[in-house]
Amino acid sequence: MNIKLVHILELLILNTSVFLYCLFLSLSTALLFRSSSLIRPLAVQKKDRDCPYLISAKIHATPSNYAGSGSKAASLHWTGERILSIALLGLAPVAFCYPGPAVDYSLAAALTVHGHWGLGQIVTDYVHGDFKIKMANAGLFLLSTVTFAGLCYFNYHDVGICKAVALLWSK
Amino acid sequence: MALLLRTVARQGQCLSRSQFGVLYRHAVPMGTTANEEMNKFWAKNTRLNRPVSPHISIYKWSIPMLMSISHRGTGVALSSGISAFALAALVLPESYPYYLDLIHSMTFGPQFLAFSKFALAFPVAYHTFNGIRHLAWDLGKGFKIPEVYRSGYIVVALTVLTSISLAAM
Repeated sequence: MNIKLVHILELLILNTSVFLYCLFLSLSTALLFRSSSLIRPLAVQKKDRDCPYLISAKIHATPSNYAGSGSKAASLHWTGERILSIALLGLAPVAFCYPGPAVDYSLAAALTVHGHWGLGQIVTDYVHGDFKIKMANAGLFLLSTVTFAGLCYFNYHDVGICKAVALLWSK
Repeated sequence: MALLLRTVARQGQCLSRSQFGVLYRHAVPMGTTANEEMNKFWAKNTRLNRPVSPHISIYKWSIPMLMSISHRGTGVALSSGISAFALAALVLPESYPYYLDLIHSMTFGPQFLAFSKFALAFPVAYHTFNGIRHLAWDLGKGFKIPEVYRSGYIVVALTVLTSISLAAM
Protein backbone atom coordinates (compact mmCIF):
# COMPACT_ATOMS: atom_id res chain seq x y z
CA MET A 1 0.00 0.00 0.00
CA ASN A 2 2.76 2.36 1.03
CA ILE A 3 4.89 1.40 -1.97
CA LYS A 4 1.95 2.01 -4.32
CA LEU A 5 1.40 5.45 -2.76
CA VAL A 6 5.06 6.36 -3.21
CA HIS A 7 4.89 5.13 -6.81
CA ILE A 8 1.86 7.31 -7.50
CA LEU A 9 3.47 10.28 -5.78
CA GLU A 10 6.63 9.80 -7.88
CA LEU A 11 4.60 9.79 -11.09
CA LEU A 12 2.67 12.85 -9.97
CA ILE A 13 5.81 14.82 -9.18
CA LEU A 14 7.47 13.75 -12.44
CA ASN A 15 4.41 14.65 -14.47
CA THR A 16 3.95 17.99 -12.74
CA SER A 17 7.60 18.94 -13.16
CA VAL A 18 7.58 18.06 -16.87
CA PHE A 19 4.30 19.92 -17.19
CA LEU A 20 5.72 23.01 -15.46
CA TYR A 21 8.89 22.77 -17.55
CA CYS A 22 6.84 22.70 -20.77
CA LEU A 23 4.64 25.48 -19.47
CA PHE A 24 7.70 27.62 -18.77
CA LEU A 25 9.14 26.88 -22.23
CA SER A 26 5.92 27.58 -24.05
CA LEU A 27 5.26 30.79 -22.16
CA SER A 28 8.79 32.06 -22.69
CA THR A 29 8.57 31.11 -26.36
CA ALA A 30 5.23 32.86 -26.62
CA LEU A 31 6.58 35.96 -24.94
CA LEU A 32 9.69 35.85 -27.07
CA PHE A 33 7.83 35.33 -30.33
CA ARG A 34 4.60 37.04 -29.17
CA SER A 35 2.39 34.23 -30.41
CA SER A 36 -0.85 34.79 -28.56
CA SER A 37 -2.06 31.26 -29.19
CA LEU A 38 0.17 29.93 -26.40
CA ILE A 39 -0.86 32.51 -23.83
CA ARG A 40 -4.16 30.83 -23.21
CA PRO A 41 -5.57 28.53 -20.47
CA LEU A 42 -4.03 25.10 -20.99
CA ALA A 43 -6.02 21.88 -21.09
CA VAL A 44 -6.09 19.58 -18.04
CA GLN A 45 -3.11 17.25 -18.13
CA LYS A 46 -3.74 13.53 -18.39
CA LYS A 47 -2.32 11.49 -15.55
CA ASP A 48 -0.05 8.66 -16.62
CA ARG A 49 -2.18 6.00 -15.01
CA ASP A 50 -5.03 6.89 -17.42
CA CYS A 51 -2.77 6.18 -20.41
CA PRO A 52 -0.51 3.27 -19.57
CA TYR A 53 0.53 2.86 -23.25
CA LEU A 54 2.37 5.43 -25.37
CA ILE A 55 0.21 7.07 -28.02
CA SER A 56 2.61 7.74 -30.90
CA ALA A 57 1.76 10.30 -33.52
CA LYS A 58 3.40 9.84 -36.90
CA ILE A 59 4.81 13.11 -38.09
CA HIS A 60 6.93 14.43 -40.92
CA ALA A 61 9.79 15.92 -38.91
CA THR A 62 12.85 17.58 -40.35
CA PRO A 63 15.81 16.00 -38.51
CA SER A 64 17.08 18.43 -35.92
CA ASN A 65 20.50 18.71 -37.57
CA TYR A 66 18.81 19.86 -40.81
CA ALA A 67 16.67 22.46 -39.10
CA GLY A 68 17.27 25.99 -40.31
CA SER A 69 19.45 24.85 -43.24
CA GLY A 70 16.65 23.66 -45.57
CA SER A 71 16.59 24.80 -49.19
CA LYS A 72 15.02 28.18 -49.85
CA ALA A 73 14.67 27.44 -53.55
CA ALA A 74 10.88 27.21 -53.59
CA SER A 75 10.49 30.36 -51.51
CA LEU A 76 12.90 32.31 -53.70
CA HIS A 77 11.09 31.05 -56.82
CA TRP A 78 7.81 32.36 -55.43
CA THR A 79 9.33 35.77 -54.69
CA GLY A 80 10.92 35.84 -58.14
CA GLU A 81 7.55 35.19 -59.76
CA ARG A 82 5.98 38.16 -57.94
CA ILE A 83 8.87 40.51 -58.70
CA LEU A 84 8.73 39.56 -62.39
CA SER A 85 4.96 40.15 -62.45
CA ILE A 86 5.44 43.65 -61.03
CA ALA A 87 8.27 44.32 -63.51
CA LEU A 88 6.05 43.21 -66.40
CA LEU A 89 3.29 45.46 -65.08
CA GLY A 90 5.65 48.42 -65.12
CA LEU A 91 6.95 47.52 -68.57
CA ALA A 92 3.55 48.04 -70.22
CA PRO A 93 3.34 51.87 -69.89
CA VAL A 94 7.05 52.13 -70.73
CA ALA A 95 6.40 50.17 -73.93
CA PHE A 96 3.61 52.58 -74.77
CA CYS A 97 5.60 55.75 -74.12
CA TYR A 98 9.13 54.72 -75.14
CA PRO A 99 8.92 51.98 -77.80
CA GLY A 100 12.28 50.72 -79.05
CA PRO A 101 14.71 47.79 -79.05
CA ALA A 102 15.50 47.99 -75.32
CA VAL A 103 11.83 47.63 -74.38
CA ASP A 104 11.33 45.04 -77.15
CA TYR A 105 13.95 42.69 -75.76
CA SER A 106 12.88 43.33 -72.17
CA LEU A 107 9.31 42.45 -73.11
CA ALA A 108 10.48 39.33 -74.93
CA ALA A 109 12.37 38.15 -71.86
CA ALA A 110 9.73 39.12 -69.29
CA LEU A 111 6.81 37.65 -71.24
CA THR A 112 8.66 34.39 -71.92
CA VAL A 113 9.76 33.82 -68.32
CA HIS A 114 6.39 34.90 -66.88
CA GLY A 115 4.63 32.44 -69.21
CA HIS A 116 7.18 29.73 -68.48
CA TRP A 117 6.74 30.01 -64.72
CA GLY A 118 2.96 30.25 -65.04
CA LEU A 119 2.72 27.13 -67.19
CA GLY A 120 5.15 25.46 -64.77
CA GLN A 121 2.63 25.96 -61.96
CA ILE A 122 -0.05 24.35 -64.12
CA VAL A 123 2.22 21.33 -64.70
CA THR A 124 2.80 21.08 -60.94
CA ASP A 125 -0.93 21.21 -60.28
CA TYR A 126 -2.18 18.70 -62.80
CA VAL A 127 0.67 16.36 -63.76
CA HIS A 128 1.52 13.51 -61.38
CA GLY A 129 4.16 10.80 -61.40
CA ASP A 130 7.92 11.35 -61.58
CA PHE A 131 8.32 10.44 -65.28
CA LYS A 132 5.32 12.44 -66.50
CA ILE A 133 6.42 15.49 -64.52
CA LYS A 134 9.89 15.27 -66.03
CA MET A 135 8.49 14.94 -69.55
CA ALA A 136 6.02 17.81 -69.12
CA ASN A 137 8.71 20.13 -67.77
CA ALA A 138 11.07 19.18 -70.59
CA GLY A 139 8.39 19.96 -73.17
CA LEU A 140 7.64 23.24 -71.45
CA PHE A 141 11.31 24.19 -71.42
CA LEU A 142 11.51 23.46 -75.15
CA LEU A 143 8.42 25.59 -75.81
CA SER A 144 9.74 28.52 -73.80
CA THR A 145 13.13 28.34 -75.50
CA VAL A 146 11.53 28.38 -78.96
CA THR A 147 9.25 31.24 -77.86
CA PHE A 148 12.13 33.38 -76.66
CA ALA A 149 14.16 32.57 -79.79
CA GLY A 150 11.24 33.51 -82.01
CA LEU A 151 10.59 36.77 -80.19
CA CYS A 152 14.25 37.76 -80.32
CA TYR A 153 14.37 36.87 -84.04
CA PHE A 154 11.31 39.04 -84.58
CA ASN A 155 12.87 41.91 -82.65
CA TYR A 156 16.10 41.68 -84.64
CA HIS A 157 14.96 40.90 -88.19
CA ASP A 158 11.48 42.38 -88.16
CA VAL A 159 9.73 45.46 -86.79
CA GLY A 160 9.89 44.50 -83.07
CA ILE A 161 7.14 43.86 -80.53
CA CYS A 162 6.18 47.48 -79.74
CA LYS A 163 6.00 48.46 -83.39
CA ALA A 164 4.06 45.27 -84.19
CA VAL A 165 1.36 46.12 -81.67
CA ALA A 166 1.23 49.72 -82.90
CA LEU A 167 0.87 48.59 -86.52
CA LEU A 168 -1.78 46.03 -85.63
CA TRP A 169 -3.83 48.68 -83.85
CA SER A 170 -3.39 51.38 -86.49
CA LYS A 171 -5.92 49.90 -88.91
CA MET B 1 -0.24 16.74 -21.71
CA ALA B 2 -0.85 15.51 -25.25
CA LEU B 3 -2.67 18.75 -26.04
CA LEU B 4 0.24 20.76 -24.76
CA LEU B 5 2.69 18.67 -26.78
CA ARG B 6 0.64 19.20 -29.92
CA THR B 7 0.30 22.93 -29.29
CA VAL B 8 4.03 23.33 -28.87
CA ALA B 9 4.79 21.08 -31.84
CA ARG B 10 2.54 23.10 -34.11
CA GLN B 11 4.44 26.30 -33.30
CA GLY B 12 7.48 24.58 -34.74
CA GLN B 13 9.84 27.00 -33.10
CA CYS B 14 11.33 25.01 -30.24
CA LEU B 15 11.40 21.64 -32.01
CA SER B 16 14.58 22.39 -33.89
CA ARG B 17 16.77 22.37 -30.80
CA SER B 18 18.00 19.02 -29.51
CA GLN B 19 17.27 19.77 -25.84
CA PHE B 20 13.57 19.83 -26.72
CA GLY B 21 13.69 16.14 -27.65
CA VAL B 22 11.76 15.48 -24.49
CA LEU B 23 8.79 17.38 -25.98
CA TYR B 24 8.09 15.00 -28.86
CA ARG B 25 9.13 11.74 -27.32
CA HIS B 26 5.71 10.39 -28.26
CA ALA B 27 6.05 11.47 -31.91
CA VAL B 28 7.54 9.08 -34.49
CA PRO B 29 9.05 10.64 -37.63
CA MET B 30 8.07 8.93 -40.89
CA GLY B 31 10.70 7.37 -43.16
CA THR B 32 9.42 9.07 -46.33
CA THR B 33 9.09 12.68 -47.44
CA ALA B 34 5.71 14.29 -48.01
CA ASN B 35 6.43 14.38 -51.75
CA GLU B 36 7.12 10.64 -51.82
CA GLU B 37 3.91 10.00 -49.91
CA MET B 38 1.98 12.08 -52.44
CA ASN B 39 3.47 10.21 -55.42
CA LYS B 40 2.65 6.86 -53.77
CA PHE B 41 -0.93 8.07 -53.30
CA TRP B 42 -1.35 9.02 -56.96
CA ALA B 43 0.41 5.86 -58.21
CA LYS B 44 -1.85 3.64 -56.13
CA ASN B 45 -4.96 5.43 -57.34
CA THR B 46 -4.02 5.06 -61.00
CA ARG B 47 -2.92 1.45 -60.53
CA LEU B 48 -6.19 0.45 -58.90
CA ASN B 49 -8.13 2.56 -61.44
CA ARG B 50 -10.03 4.16 -58.62
CA PRO B 51 -13.00 6.31 -59.67
CA VAL B 52 -12.80 9.99 -58.76
CA SER B 53 -15.67 11.45 -56.76
CA PRO B 54 -17.51 14.16 -58.68
CA HIS B 55 -16.17 17.54 -57.67
CA ILE B 56 -16.28 20.34 -60.24
CA SER B 57 -19.23 18.65 -61.96
CA ILE B 58 -21.41 18.97 -58.89
CA TYR B 59 -20.04 21.87 -56.81
CA LYS B 60 -21.93 25.14 -57.18
CA TRP B 61 -19.91 27.65 -59.18
CA SER B 62 -19.10 30.95 -57.49
CA ILE B 63 -17.69 34.22 -58.82
CA PRO B 64 -14.30 33.74 -57.13
CA MET B 65 -14.08 30.20 -58.58
CA LEU B 66 -14.93 31.43 -62.06
CA MET B 67 -12.48 34.30 -61.88
CA SER B 68 -9.70 32.08 -60.61
CA ILE B 69 -9.98 29.56 -63.43
CA SER B 70 -10.42 32.42 -65.92
CA HIS B 71 -7.14 33.89 -64.71
CA ARG B 72 -5.48 30.57 -65.47
CA GLY B 73 -7.39 30.22 -68.75
CA THR B 74 -6.47 33.69 -70.04
CA GLY B 75 -2.88 33.03 -68.97
CA VAL B 76 -2.71 29.83 -71.01
CA ALA B 77 -4.43 31.48 -73.97
CA LEU B 78 -2.10 34.49 -73.97
CA SER B 79 0.98 32.32 -73.53
CA SER B 80 -0.12 30.08 -76.41
CA GLY B 81 -0.72 33.15 -78.53
CA ILE B 82 2.74 34.50 -77.84
CA SER B 83 4.35 31.13 -78.52
CA ALA B 84 2.37 30.76 -81.76
CA PHE B 85 3.47 34.26 -82.80
CA ALA B 86 7.10 33.46 -82.01
CA LEU B 87 6.92 30.17 -83.92
CA ALA B 88 5.34 31.92 -86.89
CA ALA B 89 8.10 34.53 -86.85
CA LEU B 90 10.68 31.73 -87.12
CA VAL B 91 8.85 29.66 -89.72
CA LEU B 92 7.04 32.06 -92.06
CA PRO B 93 9.12 33.48 -94.94
CA GLU B 94 7.72 37.02 -95.26
CA SER B 95 7.92 39.93 -92.84
CA TYR B 96 5.28 41.11 -90.40
CA PRO B 97 4.05 44.16 -92.42
CA TYR B 98 3.51 41.84 -95.39
CA TYR B 99 1.16 39.59 -93.50
CA LEU B 100 -0.55 42.56 -91.88
CA ASP B 101 -1.28 44.06 -95.32
CA LEU B 102 -2.52 40.65 -96.40
CA ILE B 103 -5.08 40.68 -93.59
CA HIS B 104 -6.08 44.26 -94.36
CA SER B 105 -6.55 43.48 -98.07
CA MET B 106 -9.28 41.06 -97.07
CA THR B 107 -12.02 43.64 -96.65
CA PHE B 108 -13.57 43.08 -93.27
CA GLY B 109 -16.16 45.51 -91.94
CA PRO B 110 -15.16 48.07 -89.28
CA GLN B 111 -17.31 46.21 -86.75
CA PHE B 112 -15.28 43.05 -87.30
CA LEU B 113 -12.03 44.96 -86.79
CA ALA B 114 -13.34 46.58 -83.62
CA PHE B 115 -14.58 43.23 -82.36
CA SER B 116 -11.26 41.49 -83.02
CA LYS B 117 -9.42 44.30 -81.20
CA PHE B 118 -11.81 43.81 -78.29
CA ALA B 119 -11.24 40.04 -78.42
CA LEU B 120 -7.47 40.57 -78.24
CA ALA B 121 -7.58 43.25 -75.54
CA PHE B 122 -10.05 41.43 -73.27
CA PRO B 123 -7.85 38.53 -72.07
CA VAL B 124 -4.85 40.87 -71.68
CA ALA B 125 -6.86 43.34 -69.60
CA TYR B 126 -8.52 40.63 -67.50
CA HIS B 127 -5.28 38.80 -66.76
CA THR B 128 -3.55 42.10 -65.91
CA PHE B 129 -6.22 43.40 -63.53
CA ASN B 130 -6.83 40.04 -61.86
CA GLY B 131 -3.05 39.73 -61.63
CA ILE B 132 -2.95 42.94 -59.60
CA ARG B 133 -5.70 41.45 -57.40
CA HIS B 134 -3.48 38.39 -56.89
CA LEU B 135 -0.53 40.59 -55.95
CA ALA B 136 -2.71 42.33 -53.34
CA TRP B 137 -3.52 38.90 -51.90
CA ASP B 138 0.18 38.08 -51.83
CA LEU B 139 0.64 41.13 -49.63
CA GLY B 140 -2.02 39.67 -47.36
CA LYS B 141 -4.71 42.19 -48.24
CA GLY B 142 -8.32 41.64 -49.19
CA PHE B 143 -8.99 38.10 -48.00
CA LYS B 144 -12.32 38.74 -46.28
CA ILE B 145 -15.12 37.27 -48.37
CA PRO B 146 -16.93 40.61 -49.04
CA GLU B 147 -13.56 42.07 -50.08
CA VAL B 148 -12.92 39.13 -52.41
CA TYR B 149 -16.24 39.71 -54.15
CA ARG B 150 -15.81 43.49 -54.26
CA SER B 151 -12.31 43.33 -55.78
CA GLY B 152 -13.61 40.71 -58.21
CA TYR B 153 -16.40 42.97 -59.48
CA ILE B 154 -13.94 45.87 -59.81
CA VAL B 155 -11.60 43.69 -61.90
CA VAL B 156 -14.44 42.66 -64.23
CA ALA B 157 -15.67 46.27 -64.58
CA LEU B 158 -12.16 47.58 -65.29
CA THR B 159 -11.60 44.78 -67.81
CA VAL B 160 -14.73 45.60 -69.78
CA LEU B 161 -14.03 49.35 -69.72
CA THR B 162 -10.40 48.95 -70.74
CA SER B 163 -11.19 46.48 -73.50
CA ILE B 164 -13.85 48.76 -74.96
CA SER B 165 -11.57 51.82 -74.88
CA LEU B 166 -8.69 49.86 -76.41
CA ALA B 167 -10.96 48.52 -79.14
CA ALA B 168 -12.06 52.08 -79.89
CA MET B 169 -8.46 53.28 -80.36
